[in-house]
Amino acid sequence: MGLIPDFKKIATRSPWLYRINAGSCNGCDVEMAVTALIPRYDVERLGCQYCGSPKHADIVLISGPLTVRVKDAVLRLYDEIPDPKVTVAVGVCPISGGIFRESYAVLAPIDQYIPVDVNVPGCPPRPQAIIAGVAKAIDIWRERL
Amino acid sequence: MSNQLAILLAVLLFPGGVFALVLGLALKGVDRRVAARLQSRIGPPLAQPFFDVIKLGFKRTTVPEVASQNVFLYAPLVGVISVLLAVALVPITGVYTPAPAIGNLLVLLYLLMIPGIVLMIAGSASGSPYGAIGFSREMALMIAYEGPLVLIAAAVAIRTGVGMGGWVTFSLSDIIAYQREHGSFLFDPVMWPAVAAFCCFYPANLGIVPFDIPEAETEVLEGPLLEYSGPVLALFKVMSALKKVVVLSLGIAMFLPFAPDNWALGLIVWLIKLVVLMVIGVTALRVAIGRMRIDQAFTFFLKWPLLLAVASLAVVVVV
Repeated sequence: MGLIPDFKKIATRSPWLYRINAGSCNGCDVEMAVTALIPRYDVERLGCQYCGSPKHADIVLISGPLTVRVKDAVLRLYDEIPDPKVTVAVGVCPISGGIFRESYAVLAPIDQYIPVDVNVPGCPPRPQAIIAGVAKAIDIWRERL
Repeated sequence: MSNQLAILLAVLLFPGGVFALVLGLALKGVDRRVAARLQSRIGPPLAQPFFDVIKLGFKRTTVPEVASQNVFLYAPLVGVISVLLAVALVPITGVYTPAPAIGNLLVLLYLLMIPGIVLMIAGSASGSPYGAIGFSREMALMIAYEGPLVLIAAAVAIRTGVGMGGWVTFSLSDIIAYQREHGSFLFDPVMWPAVAAFCCFYPANLGIVPFDIPEAETEVLEGPLLEYSGPVLALFKVMSALKKVVVLSLGIAMFLPFAPDNWALGLIVWLIKLVVLMVIGVTALRVAIGRMRIDQAFTFFLKWPLLLAVASLAVVVVV
């Protein structure tokens, strides 16, 4: 005991985010990549940082309904993210397919293929909701460390 | 024997090792915080880089199948050791003077090249095409900025050497002693081209936004660092933090080493200079402008900083 739990608590203050676009219409991506970073909703306050490489990521933000074409790439990318990782599904598409539901080209719900920890519904979700989802993911991540 | 012990302490404790590591990470924290404030965001806590490094310690390290495993894993270690040595070479006015055996400007220049080379080796060892792109860009950038740096160092060395009655001196302690007697080179018009060239050089060496072309996140996904994860990536973060301390304190030693005689005051003044130099040359710069292309950066360096450095060398030799 003593030192090690402390370090884990410190470690969870540095969640690095990685976005996977699983066939999203880009609405959610704009909310994640741009709106959540603007001065009003600065996600960097939580120590978050968007990283370019999946190997640096701690929290994965997946948007889109998982189209058939992109499935293999998404699964490969997901495997490349080192453990421990937490998955946040952003938008309504990963849950049900959203406006693309019942299409022959989508495989939603996404949790048939990837374990989803937090769902942030909305079309697109508001930046506050995305940040709340990330905060929830940080709590889950702490338990996994 | 005591001399060797002193060198070891300088490398591991102060000003290298623990001290430089804490300082470098804290500088990074200040940098991120100030950048956020300049963009009217709140920004991360000041200790954020410490959190990042500790976090990376908890992650798994993966080695790509195509990577050359030993080189991939040990390259960053070589980089960290070389910058640790480099920190111990740079004097802090009134606080720390390196042992005469190691306090040499030329040795420092060689050690400063190693982090860049390590990045190149790491990128090519990772087997990733992005790493290869990072490799070629880092090499082009190094070719562009190393020339001016050597000329700047030569100008400083000749100015000091001639001033002290010889021809050239590469001893950093002598350079500082000369400036403390005759005034800092920053206020010496003869040295202004060299100062300007150095101001162009250090953002490039630190890989800050207009010149972070080898690691461009949005283009080549952090290039050489793409395949790294976990503790090994933390070593790269530590390396760049230490390198920041070395390069900034080299600038202070070469151009503005004025300081009060008091030990504590000297350290505080040095820290203030370090932060000011970083906020102006790193934070404000990276907030203000976007990334250059590699060809733009290359021509920029072979045009202005090289011209300025050659001019300063010529002026110093003539005057």
